[in-house]
Amino acid sequence: MSRGQLLLRLLFRAAWVRKDRALTALISVAVVATIATAALTVYYDLENKLSREFRSFGANVVVTARRGALRTDEIGAIHSSMGKRGAVVPVAYAVASGPGGTKVVIGGTDLNALRELNSWWSIRSLASGRDGALIGSRAAESFSRSGEKFLIHFETKTVEIQPSAVFNSGSDDDSRIYIPLTTFADLTGIQPNIALVRVDGRPREIQETIARLSAGLPNSEVQPVRQITRAQTAVVGKTRSVVLAASLVVLALIMLSMIATFTSSILERRKDFAVMKALGASNRTVNFLFAAEASFLALAGAAAGYVLGSGMAFWIGKANFQAAILPQPALILPVLLGSVALALIASAAPLRILQQIQPAGILRGE
Amino acid sequence: MFFRLLFESFRRQKRRKSIALLAIALGMSIATAMIAVGTDVGDKINEDMRRNGGNLIVTPVEDTLDVNIGGVDLKPASEGAFIAESELPKMKGTFWGHNIRGFVPSLSSPETVLIGTREFKADLIGTYFAQRMKYGKEEFTTGARTVNGWWKVEGNWPQDYAEWPQNQPPEALAGNKLAETAGLRVGDEVAIQGRKLRISGILNTGGAEDQAIVAPLHIVQQILGEPGRVRRVVVSALTKPEDAFARRDPGRMSPADRDRWYCSPYANSIAFQIAEAIPNVRVEQIRQVEQNQGKILSRIAGMMLLLTLAALLASGLAVSAAMAATILERRHEVGLMKSLGASNGTVASLFLTEAGFLALAGGIIGFLAGAALAHRIGQTVFGSAITVQPVVLAVVIIAAFVVTFVGSAGAVRKAMQFDPAVVLRGDA
Repeated sequence: MSRGQLLLRLLFRAAWVRKDRALTALISVAVVATIATAALTVYYDLENKLSREFRSFGANVVVTARRGALRTDEIGAIHSSMGKRGAVVPVAYAVASGPGGTKVVIGGTDLNALRELNSWWSIRSLASGRDGALIGSRAAESFSRSGEKFLIHFETKTVEIQPSAVFNSGSDDDSRIYIPLTTFADLTGIQPNIALVRVDGRPREIQETIARLSAGLPNSEVQPVRQITRAQTAVVGKTRSVVLAASLVVLALIMLSMIATFTSSILERRKDFAVMKALGASNRTVNFLFAAEASFLALAGAAAGYVLGSGMAFWIGKANFQAAILPQPALILPVLLGSVALALIASAAPLRILQQIQPAGILRGE
Repeated sequence: MFFRLLFESFRRQKRRKSIALLAIALGMSIATAMIAVGTDVGDKINEDMRRNGGNLIVTPVEDTLDVNIGGVDLKPASEGAFIAESELPKMKGTFWGHNIRGFVPSLSSPETVLIGTREFKADLIGTYFAQRMKYGKEEFTTGARTVNGWWKVEGNWPQDYAEWPQNQPPEALAGNKLAETAGLRVGDEVAIQGRKLRISGILNTGGAEDQAIVAPLHIVQQILGEPGRVRRVVVSALTKPEDAFARRDPGRMSPADRDRWYCSPYANSIAFQIAEAIPNVRVEQIRQVEQNQGKILSRIAGMMLLLTLAALLASGLAVSAAMAATILERRHEVGLMKSLGASNGTVASLFLTEAGFLALAGGIIGFLAGAALAHRIGQTVFGSAITVQPVVLAVVIIAAFVVTFVGSAGAVRKAMQFDPAVVLRGDA
């Protein structure tokens, strides 16, 4: 039997004969690798996943033409500087008078796009279909308590408003009436001068898009809705830090625990150690053998841990964000190498202790 | 005899016992820290979001429609209804008064502002900056500085005094766009309806206030001739995310459900209570903030819960594995006891009692260490401590017992299966 074969045999037999002990060491490494993989995978994807949730806040940027209306090419420029993500809803506003001469703000826009953008509106649909007007709850109280038609005047023209839905937003919109843009243009002759824009992405990407928008639209004012962008930055940032801090604490503790388990599993083998020495193995050979065994166990444990941890992250994404968090291939190497390094560190101390004891003493049971 | 065995086991096997204790304490501190962080992170993020603006709005019931485009108010101050300023502190006396972080009243009107010799059209907005108030014995400070976290001021925030010394004009803020077009700088004076104001700072909000003059509420009330009146109040309240129960119509609930609804800090129950306390107002949730933040908070809380579960599982496994290892190491002892006539039950009860002591000690140490770690995480990330609920101690100690026993029981059974003679010869 060659030296190499002997080494392999020793490695496998050591693990096989004492399955429970090898298993304990393996589990302790696998647990560390699982938690490390799961926590770091979630952490990497967290900014994306949380930012996605912020889309439901609706418009986070408002573009206003400084003078006159937004030109078609300007609206095109907004679209193109956002890539394919987000939403752009151009709106025109005017002050008209309702029944009894009450002043009311009317808005002309694509009503379906507006409803989609403001997904938080609580909408009560009236029977008359979707092509009628969207009435704010306070405007509805004044003009159309039970969804009846009413007249709106603008300068010399008049239009009949047929409410199709009443919405409640808890903002100034509640006093407004939104009608389709064509009806609005026929009534007032005004074209949209405001675009409500929802920029998607992570906080930094949103800032970059806002910068691009401002640069691309010299004749318009680009205003981020600061409550929303700031809340997103704060919430995403804090959540990431808390996940990172908690993961680091958990990792550090569980590594300590793994080192303790690993150390004790090596100390337990002092008899093997003594027998090898008594049979004439040098310190170097014994160290090598133990280190190889530790690395072997650590590699197996880390590989299992990576798979388990990635699965755990995937499941967390599915269960919580309804979107999978995909495994990070970049983590494989650090997790494997880190586990081996930890295992070697954990083996080093007990081996040094054992080397200081005479083999005879250990074999006698001291 | 039993206790002597127990005692000696701890005394003579310090190394093994301390490794087991360490493993349990580490596992339990993970549990404590993660439970504490996981349960508190929702509240912390909620508070953070509340620093970025209010979530409830109070308006007079009788008010006419708002006429404003792009944040520019086109409705004169004389039109419409008002809320009496003196009623506002009553909000603090409602059932969930302590959840109300602050409120910002406002009164505004489009005015002509005389800057130097030129005239500009701008909104005059009156509000609280950091107004000291009193409700009963409770004193508190509220206003834009604490509620509208996104307002940035270059220069100084104005004082909220009502009575300014005669020789000194009251302070006000100028919106940055107005300041730019009019060439206003900190320290300049402007006049509105003959009343002089000194600009103490330039305000940048990214909203309509950028084109306005923002002054202390009481000064604006004097200028507009509307003493003691405000147009609307934005309230920042800590709320519980809306769930299916909160969406039900309170008018149709059974009395017991209604009590439960009233006593839960939902946005709409807090709104209802404010409307009860202040006459003739309509209180609504700012749905864009309130509806969406609930979703975000529940996502964050859900994620932390899952991560906590993962960490608990991992620490449980680690503790169990460590306990199994320390017991398997002691096969010899089991063999010796059994060959001296100990029954399986006696051996098991000795080992499990040992494990129990370790679990108790490890659980307590782990709880203390975990609480300290959670505290540190709170301080570094949120700048405020994370409090660990005392009930977590009970949970952690029970968890410690469970994982220690699970780890030990399997190993003890295994150790007992060996033939004592074989074990003592050293062959197993």
